[in-house]
Amino acid sequence: MNIYDLIFYLFATITVLSALAVVSTKNIIYSAYNLMLTFFGVAGLYVLLGADFLAIVQLIVYVGGILILILFGVMLTNKVNGMPIHTEVTNIIPASITIGLFAGIVLAFFMNTNWKSVTTEFPATTIQSLGKLLMNEYILIFELLGVLLLIALIGAASIARKQ
Amino acid sequence: MDITIQDYLNILPLIIIAAGILISVVIEMYAKNSEKILPWFSIVIFFSAGYYALFTVNSQSVLFSNMIVTGGTANIFFFLFCFGAAIVSLLSIDYLKKAGIYFGEYYILLQSAVLGMMLLANARDLVMIFIGLEQMSIPFYVLAGFNRKKHFSNEAALKYFLLGAFATGFIVFGMGLIYGSVGSMSIDAIMTKFGDVSTNAVFIIGVLLFIIGFSFKIAAFPFHMWVPDVYQGSPTTVTAIMSTGGKAAAFSALFIALSPFFGDVSFNIFKPFLSALAVLSMLFGSIVAIAQTDIKRMLAYSSISHAGYMLIGVTSGLASGTAGVIFYLAAYTFMNLGAFGIVSMLEGENDTNLKIDDYINLGKKNPLIAGLLSIFMFALSGLPPFAGFFGKYYVFISAIESGMTWLAIVGVISSVISVYFYLRLVVLMYFKEGNEGINPTVSNTALLGVVIAALIVILIGLFPGSIIELISTFVI
Repeated sequence: MNIYDLIFYLFATITVLSALAVVSTKNIIYSAYNLMLTFFGVAGLYVLLGADFLAIVQLIVYVGGILILILFGVMLTNKVNGMPIHTEVTNIIPASITIGLFAGIVLAFFMNTNWKSVTTEFPATTIQSLGKLLMNEYILIFELLGVLLLIALIGAASIARKQ
Repeated sequence: MDITIQDYLNILPLIIIAAGILISVVIEMYAKNSEKILPWFSIVIFFSAGYYALFTVNSQSVLFSNMIVTGGTANIFFFLFCFGAAIVSLLSIDYLKKAGIYFGEYYILLQSAVLGMMLLANARDLVMIFIGLEQMSIPFYVLAGFNRKKHFSNEAALKYFLLGAFATGFIVFGMGLIYGSVGSMSIDAIMTKFGDVSTNAVFIIGVLLFIIGFSFKIAAFPFHMWVPDVYQGSPTTVTAIMSTGGKAAAFSALFIALSPFFGDVSFNIFKPFLSALAVLSMLFGSIVAIAQTDIKRMLAYSSISHAGYMLIGVTSGLASGTAGVIFYLAAYTFMNLGAFGIVSMLEGENDTNLKIDDYINLGKKNPLIAGLLSIFMFALSGLPPFAGFFGKYYVFISAIESGMTWLAIVGVISSVISVYFYLRLVVLMYFKEGNEGINPTVSNTALLGVVIAALIVILIGLFPGSIIELISTFVI
């Protein structure tokens, strides 16, 4: 077992345990903080896979952006009508059945797939090749995402407008 | 990758709509009476894009490193979406005033929803399907809740958003599994590697999840629970485009993803699943629609059963089935638009005049509207000589060709059941004693839109042979 295996198990444990805590804790603020750990653990796994850009984006967008939004959302809406948000862990049995089924399928895939292990050099950085792909093969998608974001902004503004 | 002038001409419909969105934003920003300019501007760009798409239906090409195709069935879908949206814009002009949601953003969102539908119809890559789906769904979420003062409208938007996001999750997960087994997102790559992966469990489950996700969007039976509430709560003109264009776009994406399977034995794996969806949707939609008293809810359940009829064509797995479904979608788009158009015309302020009983005696009070609504009801129930009959005919024939006669029989039984609730409306309009019922004031622009829809429904019914021939030449 080398150092990379140890780091992998560390991040994997962080991810799984914090994800479990997200769904099992009764306090929604604790859930949000645990979600931060989950995102962080996933970012670590990305680094181990050699996806440096993805890992950084994961940290900036999810941990830095979305999570803060969730926390603000929870804290602000709590005070709107003076009623505490009702949080509870419900539907444990159906959820366990569904997740058990799902985990079974994933495990079956994992066992039955004929994995080929290849040793490759980690690229120094993936940003350059990602940029080239975005500007060549995926140029149309790149442009259309711009339109999509514009529409999302217009939609959000029109929902939030004053009457 | 060199892009020639011809390539730009081929994607001109997309460019027109995309540029139209940006110009509309500028108009909305600077013009004082933008809500008066924008509907007519939208109609012009929808009409020109739709007409151009139909005009260049023969110039087929693959563009942007196998991302999109142009010409052929994609252009037929373009025509459907653009003409449908043009009719919806006509309907919306007076409806929005009546509903108190007279804002220019409505048309910007409508255009972007149409852009998303077009991207779904000409996608050649799973990433493209995803972008198209989001581009279509996000404006729909907003439009469903466009009437913010209304409780029902907000409920519709929230329900549609949550369940839509859930369905998108299924689709993306399915795409992930397909990518994992094939190693590429491109439909062409899936086709070349199809022999290796067609029996791979990961691949099959991926496609199955993909089908489940799109079953939400086409409103097939076990995934239909959002349909009645969302269709009822959304502004009626939004429901009109959601139930026609949205459904047609989801079907086109389903065809693109299933296209490697057609003509292959491995398609048999999906047949039990797809035929179960079809049978349940048809029967459930037709039977539950009988009990409805609200006309929008009735049309929502009827839309579920129509999704079932169309799924028969998908289940057949034949080229004739695909052509039949596209024909059916063309007919369904215009007859359903017409029906919802009339509902939106007659609807009063604050959700009045939406009960089926409000239509009593409409035949005496407004013979023109009653006549048009009767045409749409006859067409929806599938009585000849209107468009709906031939749609069902082609779809049922494809089921018989593929050796699933029982599916066609269930379809006929369900059609017979559905005749009851469609014709009940006609009977109420013409053959009811007494003098109750509403006295509607009718908007001229909306009437124009409904008349155009009626003309197209009659035209499709008169020349079904040449239209299905045109579609069949593009379906491989």
